[in-house]
Amino acid sequence: MAKVNPAFIEKVTASEEFNATECMNCGVCSAVCPVEIDLLPRKLFRYALLGLEDKVLEHTPAIYQCLLCKLCEANCTADVHIAENVRFLRTYISKEVYKL
Amino acid sequence: MSERRIGVYICYCGGNISDYVDCERVQDAIKHEEGVVVAKTTMFACSDAAQQEMIDDIREQKLDAMVVASCSPTLHLFTFRGVAERAGLNPYLYVQVNLREQCSWAHTDVPEKATEKAVHMVKAGIAKARLTEPLQKTRIDTVPRALVVGAGISGLRAALALSDLGISVYVAEKTDKIGGRVAEMGRMYPHDRRGSELIANLVEEAQKRENVQIYTQAELTEKSGSVGDFTVKLNVKGESIPLNVGAIIVTTGFNSYQPADGEYAYGTDGVLTLPEFKQLLDQCEGDLTYRGKPVGNVSYIYCVGSRGSSQKENPNDYCSRYCCNAAMHASSIAHDLSPGLHQFHLFRDIRTYGKYELLYQEARRKGALFIKFDDDEPPRVEKSNGCFRILVKDVLTNGEELDIESDLVVLVTAMEPRPNQPLNDVLKLPLGLDGFFKEIHPKLRPVETVIDGVFIAGTAQAPRNSAESVASALAATSKSAALLKKGYVELEPLIAVVDKQACTWCDKCVESCPYSAIGKIGSGEKEVAEINAAVCKGCGCCVPACPQGALGVRGYTDRQIRAMIDAMEARNG
Repeated sequence: MAKVNPAFIEKVTASEEFNATECMNCGVCSAVCPVEIDLLPRKLFRYALLGLEDKVLEHTPAIYQCLLCKLCEANCTADVHIAENVRFLRTYISKEVYKL
Repeated sequence: MSERRIGVYICYCGGNISDYVDCERVQDAIKHEEGVVVAKTTMFACSDAAQQEMIDDIREQKLDAMVVASCSPTLHLFTFRGVAERAGLNPYLYVQVNLREQCSWAHTDVPEKATEKAVHMVKAGIAKARLTEPLQKTRIDTVPRALVVGAGISGLRAALALSDLGISVYVAEKTDKIGGRVAEMGRMYPHDRRGSELIANLVEEAQKRENVQIYTQAELTEKSGSVGDFTVKLNVKGESIPLNVGAIIVTTGFNSYQPADGEYAYGTDGVLTLPEFKQLLDQCEGDLTYRGKPVGNVSYIYCVGSRGSSQKENPNDYCSRYCCNAAMHASSIAHDLSPGLHQFHLFRDIRTYGKYELLYQEARRKGALFIKFDDDEPPRVEKSNGCFRILVKDVLTNGEELDIESDLVVLVTAMEPRPNQPLNDVLKLPLGLDGFFKEIHPKLRPVETVIDGVFIAGTAQAPRNSAESVASALAATSKSAALLKKGYVELEPLIAVVDKQACTWCDKCVESCPYSAIGKIGSGEKEVAEINAAVCKGCGCCVPACPQGALGVRGYTDRQIRAMIDAMEARNG
């Protein structure tokens, strides 16, 4: 069971960079990812959008594993700024979790 | 020896018949039948040239009956009746034999036997033609007034439109309030105006009209007469008011689905149906509050009472059509009241069809989150610590179970038929399996019913939004006006007739009639059945019900049918 945290939703959606709301879950990003990250972007963003902070943090290694190669972004049919969104989550984790 | 002069035309149908049936042999076999004066074959009986030839024959040979052996009467009965009429022959002296569908196409593998069958069929047609009688259509003068049952948005709009066309309108509203469901609806999509404003405008306009009379607390208690000339009685606040109208439009509206006790925690304070939530939105000024407390999170659960989802018996199978759009619109209004509001839409499928997709987009843009659940695993609603916990498995994260805290739970509830047995007893309109009034044909005759002169519109007929309801109300208006403005209606004479000698008035026929067309009348010293010519459809249900054999249907009399059977039995030769 994953608790929906509206405060986290607010933080995530307040950002102008974070546009994962555009994602329509087609899965192209997952299909083209060269590093076989165990958490695929569409699922990661869905966790973030639903405010499942615990789920997002659980996958911190995957978030840092991403190469930011933007292969997914180049192929995204919904113009989701996938790499930017990953960077946003990294910033969030660095500040809120690691207090950097 | 028959004194009839019958013309018989056997059609090739360009090969559809003649490829399997030897039409020339058929012609040979029937040309000496009693009463046959003209017997011809033709490539296409329906062609202009063939029709003209028939007209010439009728005139020159003084024919008094005609048989065309061609295709199904569904296709060309009226074509050849028209030929007879143009030649000065009563159209009911025409008989069609369906050689194509009932013989040639059915027996393509055995042409010999098909030809033999065709001979029998044409002989039967001739036997019937020998017993035809000229018949006249029944003409009824229409009354230029209409009754609208139900003063919701559909009924009011229909009343104004009829008034525009110069038709006087009576509107009967059962409750003490005008405006129906729309008046209570708050702000509505897509124009974002209040339902009460729309209704107020319609009522204001109606009050200016001299030819619109609205009765509240009025119920339709009696209906007699027929299309174009009904006599009805209204019970208005206990007083009986007789009216004479030419058409009736039924716009009795819908009921909103009331969830079972405990269905998604319904009955607990804070679980609202969509109409209740819309009223709450309408009452709020500034932030969205419920019972004085600010609302932070709202969860919507879709398809409650629709599409087989219900904790009640006999759930509704249909989609209620308006509710996805209405919930999206409500979500946008709620966001505008409280921009910080978190809204979670738990849905099975989103059906914001056509331009209403924009409402869906707008709700998403305003931050609403959409969570799809599986039909077999609906969300659970639990009350804990003063708020609700909604537990739902999100399909898009492969069934991750989410735990959503909510201050309000909105059940996006269905539209249901509005049962009204007393009205059904008076009008006898057929209901569909879903309980809504049923039209004759969903595409081609969408507002007409099997009762001529009685029309249906709005949500009495099916779940739909107010725009669609008004469109159907205006369609019903047009159909009513087309009927009433002509000044008269002509009705088919092929209806039941009573043999007054034989009838002993046992009233068995009354029960058998699906249209309530049979009444009682005095005849000499006894009482006999009487057929209301304007209501009878000639279906024939009453004929076998009569123990005395006193009933028949014109154009299909027992004598004619027996003669046809005898003719079919006779050996070819």
